[in-house]
Amino acid sequence: MMARALAVCRVALGALFIWAAVTKLPDMTAFAQDVANYRVIPAALVPLLAAAVVGIELLAGIALVTGVMERSAAAVLAVLLGAFTVLLTQALLRGIDLRCGCFGGDERASWWTVLRDLVMLATALAVARGRAPERTRVTYPA
Amino acid sequence: MSLLVRGGLLCVAGAVVGIAGNAMSPRPARLGTPVHAAAESAGAACEDPRASVPRISVQEAKPLCIACSAAFVDARSAQEYAAGHITGAVHLPPGQPAGPLLPRLSAAPAVIVYDRDRDCAAADRVAVLLQSNGVRDVRVLTGAWPEWLARGGPGESGTCALCAAGGQ
Repeated sequence: MMARALAVCRVALGALFIWAAVTKLPDMTAFAQDVANYRVIPAALVPLLAAAVVGIELLAGIALVTGVMERSAAAVLAVLLGAFTVLLTQALLRGIDLRCGCFGGDERASWWTVLRDLVMLATALAVARGRAPERTRVTYPA
Repeated sequence: MSLLVRGGLLCVAGAVVGIAGNAMSPRPARLGTPVHAAAESAGAACEDPRASVPRISVQEAKPLCIACSAAFVDARSAQEYAAGHITGAVHLPPGQPAGPLLPRLSAAPAVIVYDRDRDCAAADRVAVLLQSNGVRDVRVLTGAWPEWLARGGPGESGTCALCAAGGQ
């Protein structure tokens, strides 16, 4: 039962990150600007980091959906989600009015966005900590 | 292979995929060009020398707001307007008829339209609509709402009472 719930969480999280990456790709200029608007990343690194984040989201999402290297992918996404949560929180505490840049649209950063990231972070951690499927040990008679 | 090593490999591969995806994007991020926060690049947020509507910077617009010698029009969404807008601004998003607000805006010495986007696309659409309805001296605020906020421009929150009352 637990394993099934974990599998559903894994696939759902993976699909969500594939969607997040796919919605950003058509307008990478806008996503780079969204990243810059958090006013944390050095301006020179913003475009490269924006491109890398989208690629990592896409690959990790595919890994989660297909179940290939799923624990590593979940761990990577947990790190990303932790970073997103910190970035969003600092922006909200500083009163910076900005788009969150989460799914390529016009969604504003809000405490609701932080809460959503925390839920996804908990899911990613659960998947990363999940046990690998146990192998059946066959014992042959001597 | 440990979780850490596989995670690292995934990040490197992801970064490569991301850079390739960026290169294929219809609007790629320029990897060699620094990107500054919209609020930090004064006026650059929607500065376009080819724009048909004249621009006005936050530095120029702030005194006009304080002296109430210009009418401000907020072209963002209703939620964004309610969360915070320039003091005294009326709400007129793109696609909405300007009719009810026209008497008030036509009487103003200048009308300044703003949105929250780096290219001021929504503000431009509303400004063109106002111009076509005979409103004179319409300008678009460069830097938009983020820069107004960052530079400490006066603001307030709440719904647009003047819009419901027809701007009278």
